[in-house]
Amino acid sequence: MIGLCNRKHLSLALVSAALLAFQIALLQILATSQWHHFAYLVISIALLGFGAAGTLLALTRRWMTARQAQLLPLLLCCCAVTLAGSLAMTKSLFGGFDSFLLFVDIGEVLKLSAVALLLLLPFTCGALTIGLIFTLETERIGSYYFANMFGSGLGCLLGLAGLSLLLPQQLPPCFGFLALAAAALLLPGSRPATRVVLVVSLALVTIFLVQAPELELSQYKDLRRALDLPGANILANQPAAAGQIHIVDAPVLRGAEGVSLNWSGEMPQAPAVFINGDSIGSLPQAAGGDSPRNASTFALSYALGIPRRVLVLDAGTGVDVAMAIEQGAETVVAVEAHKPLVELLRTTAPTRVSRIFNNPSVTWQTLVSRTWLARDQQQYDLIILPKVGGFGGNAGLFALHEQPLLTREALQQAWSKLSPQGLLTVTSWVDYPVRTPLRLLATLVETLEEAGVTNPQDRIAAVRSWGTLTFCIKRTPYTKAELAAIRSFAKRWAFDPALLPDLRPEERQHFNRLQDDSLFQLFDAVLGPERSELYNNYAFRIKPVDDDQPFFSQFLRWSQLDALISLYGQRNLPFIELGMLVAVLAAGVLSLLATLLILLPLTRLPKGSGTHWQVLIYFGGLGVGYMWTELALIHRFVLYLGHPVYATALVVAVLLIGSATGSALTGRFRVCRPWRWTAATSSILLLYVVLLGTLLETTLPMAMPLRTALAVLVLAPAAVIMGMPFPLGLRLLNQAHRAEVPWAWGINSCLSVVGAAFATLLAVEFGYSLLLLLAATAYLLPTTIRFRVS
Amino acid sequence: MQIRRESAYSGVLMLCLVLLLCFGAVASSERGEERETMVKEQILARGVKDPTTLAAMRTVPRHLFVPGAMSNQAYQDRPLPIGHGQTISQPFIVAFMTEIIKPGPGRKILEIGTGSGYQAAILAATGAQVYSIEIIPQLADSAAVILKQLGFTHVETRSADGYYGWKEHAPFDAIIVTAAAEFIPPPLIEQLAESGLMVIPVGSPFFVQTLMLIQKRDGKTISTSLMPVRFVPFKRADEE
Repeated sequence: MIGLCNRKHLSLALVSAALLAFQIALLQILATSQWHHFAYLVISIALLGFGAAGTLLALTRRWMTARQAQLLPLLLCCCAVTLAGSLAMTKSLFGGFDSFLLFVDIGEVLKLSAVALLLLLPFTCGALTIGLIFTLETERIGSYYFANMFGSGLGCLLGLAGLSLLLPQQLPPCFGFLALAAAALLLPGSRPATRVVLVVSLALVTIFLVQAPELELSQYKDLRRALDLPGANILANQPAAAGQIHIVDAPVLRGAEGVSLNWSGEMPQAPAVFINGDSIGSLPQAAGGDSPRNASTFALSYALGIPRRVLVLDAGTGVDVAMAIEQGAETVVAVEAHKPLVELLRTTAPTRVSRIFNNPSVTWQTLVSRTWLARDQQQYDLIILPKVGGFGGNAGLFALHEQPLLTREALQQAWSKLSPQGLLTVTSWVDYPVRTPLRLLATLVETLEEAGVTNPQDRIAAVRSWGTLTFCIKRTPYTKAELAAIRSFAKRWAFDPALLPDLRPEERQHFNRLQDDSLFQLFDAVLGPERSELYNNYAFRIKPVDDDQPFFSQFLRWSQLDALISLYGQRNLPFIELGMLVAVLAAGVLSLLATLLILLPLTRLPKGSGTHWQVLIYFGGLGVGYMWTELALIHRFVLYLGHPVYATALVVAVLLIGSATGSALTGRFRVCRPWRWTAATSSILLLYVVLLGTLLETTLPMAMPLRTALAVLVLAPAAVIMGMPFPLGLRLLNQAHRAEVPWAWGINSCLSVVGAAFATLLAVEFGYSLLLLLAATAYLLPTTIRFRVS
Repeated sequence: MQIRRESAYSGVLMLCLVLLLCFGAVASSERGEERETMVKEQILARGVKDPTTLAAMRTVPRHLFVPGAMSNQAYQDRPLPIGHGQTISQPFIVAFMTEIIKPGPGRKILEIGTGSGYQAAILAATGAQVYSIEIIPQLADSAAVILKQLGFTHVETRSADGYYGWKEHAPFDAIIVTAAAEFIPPPLIEQLAESGLMVIPVGSPFFVQTLMLIQKRDGKTISTSLMPVRFVPFKRADEE
């Protein structure tokens, strides 16, 4: 028979696991049905739920503690039901609410708010349970905090495992059962009515599991638009933690992006592939036939000869791999981080596609392309980078996407892998106003200069079609024969040379005219001595990005916002530069909500103890510091470990479980001196800022198990120490000002919300190193605080 | 008896036609002031001057082509959602595209992407013969109904894959592709008459960033990028 104390621990771990796993499932549900930008919304709703619970608890502490035996299982039942039924409850709203209409219809904002409030329920109920247990068990807070953190770490792994095995909409009811199990553990001692509630909840969660609703996709989502086509059918629908995969076939779906206006051949039907509802391209055409891709600027490099060894980075659906084989490459190394996608295309795709994926001359590497570039020792005649930007000039939508393949460091690594006559090629859609091709050219030019090339223009060729622009940089200067071959290729397919060492101005707009020649003036400025001036004076940010700020598609200059609004209108701006605007909007709204739901109600607490500000600084600093550390470390380790999902899971799990261990250890401390541990955390984070980059770079060539072990070794000490200040602070506060405990918890949650919301903005604007440095500073703040018994 | 029945049918038919014409006339006179304001403030002010285009924009009742719930926003300077991930374009974009392809009596125009049917109605109102294709059957049906109700006899619609164009009626003096794709279908270029014009808006469903004009001259196909909002931001605003 398990004792009440142990049952409470287990219950706490289970509900913590359920909430975190639910959060992970919700991330994918919203990314698939609406926008990936809603990741911020989910994290923040969860933290907001915790904050609101803290506040509620602070205001009703006596009432709740007096009824804890009944309340705890009831709250857990409520958490289980609202969690399991979250999708069914919001389905009508999800169906009606459309993220793409948020900027054109205020009604949609209200619907989104209603959805957010509904989603807040399970988090608030779950967090109330956790908070109530913390408040009741302050003396043994270390071990309870351990259960909370350990459960969260477990939930992270459960969430990811769930996404790999089940469809995301099936997961919330599964995690609802965890919360129900937590409720059952606390049942002994409660009234019979509570047992009835548990049985009813069990029935409801089971119904939600059996009747799991289909995801309601936004009508503007790529997947939904494809499914709306006549005769569309889903060839494959596979759950995956790295993003749910759909392959859709329809008689009218064709893959021929950017094909020449002179192409008169067939455009064969091609199924399209979607990750979390976003199109990533079409499946390749049959190898051996004449593919329309050969009549696009993507084929520029092949006009210069047949490469023997080809490296395709972020190979996706394999269209560039198919083209390389078709053009006669002897060996192709294809790198794609989405392992389930590669496996799916290898095994279940139509024969012509699986033949390309299983071709003996093709080697597939399933890891982050950038990690492959850093570890690989081979040389290639042709390196193909993935296309940049999207058709229709929607690059700004990806402002918050890290693009580690488009940084200065990445291109330098790629350049160093080229054989003596090797070529590196990258294609971009031309956007208006021009941003993507300019930053791309600037990055290529700086790469060449850093490699010691004195005249970069001798090594750069670019051709432009009606919509695309392909750059080719070459190890050696272009020969006359090669320049003639480029011109001949361009003429055949009605493309215009945009950059060639011997280009005449009149050649630039023969087939594809622009309203003026400003694009070429800008190109010339990038290649000329006035480049720095252009970086400073252009209306958008076009300076190349580096590994510390790998946000290639973040072009927005805040100082230019007014000018852009006056040119395009307030309503149109989100469709040009959505990413950053969403992040700023989210940060603003969340700060406001956090203040309204967490801080404002807490002002009703009795004043006079004089510790409000101290609590704010101490627990606020811990909240912000923890979030910023977590996000900065995830960024560092994704490239190091090469698998985004694995790296995220590892970092989060080590931090949570390490913190849990640290928290448990505090139970053995006789004297509470939390500031020692915050100072120690700050010191370790400072060490990370200085040494982590070099350490990871040096050990990158090691085998994966060794890198994983090293990652755990590096992260664990910080994680253990980071888990100590919170329970120690609570213990101290409990001795000094017991009534302030819920306020401390609320502050911690509130600042975690705000911290998470601002973390991305800080990383985009100032880089991840600064984010880590700021986290170290945030951990220094609590060292200035001393809680004294009044 | 037979003659009586026929004349009865003719009578009913005539009555229907009269009703349709009346409906069209009433519809086109409804909210005329709003249309006038739309033309003045959103279209003329931005440089669209073609009298045929302006007359069509003044005549066609845009509010009948938008979903009922949004009818009050029909004349605002913005696109509106019409379902199935489609939009009715901003009035200025419709006018700008119409002006570019120079429609008028005797001109044969192919539209790919009927959507709400508003663009087809504008083209038909200029006197051009319009052939319009829509891939989503529900949209094709509703557009056909409203076009018929408003008496646009110069518009023929069908639900099909726009990729193949409408070979039976080719060549066309102009082609309007209202939903841009990552490629321009070769059959459309083929079905464009010599010296014909094809116009394609590029951007998100809610914001056209540029218009592509495809011209066929001496067997050569030339693309021109037209920017409705000219933007040459070599200098930052605060530098100027």
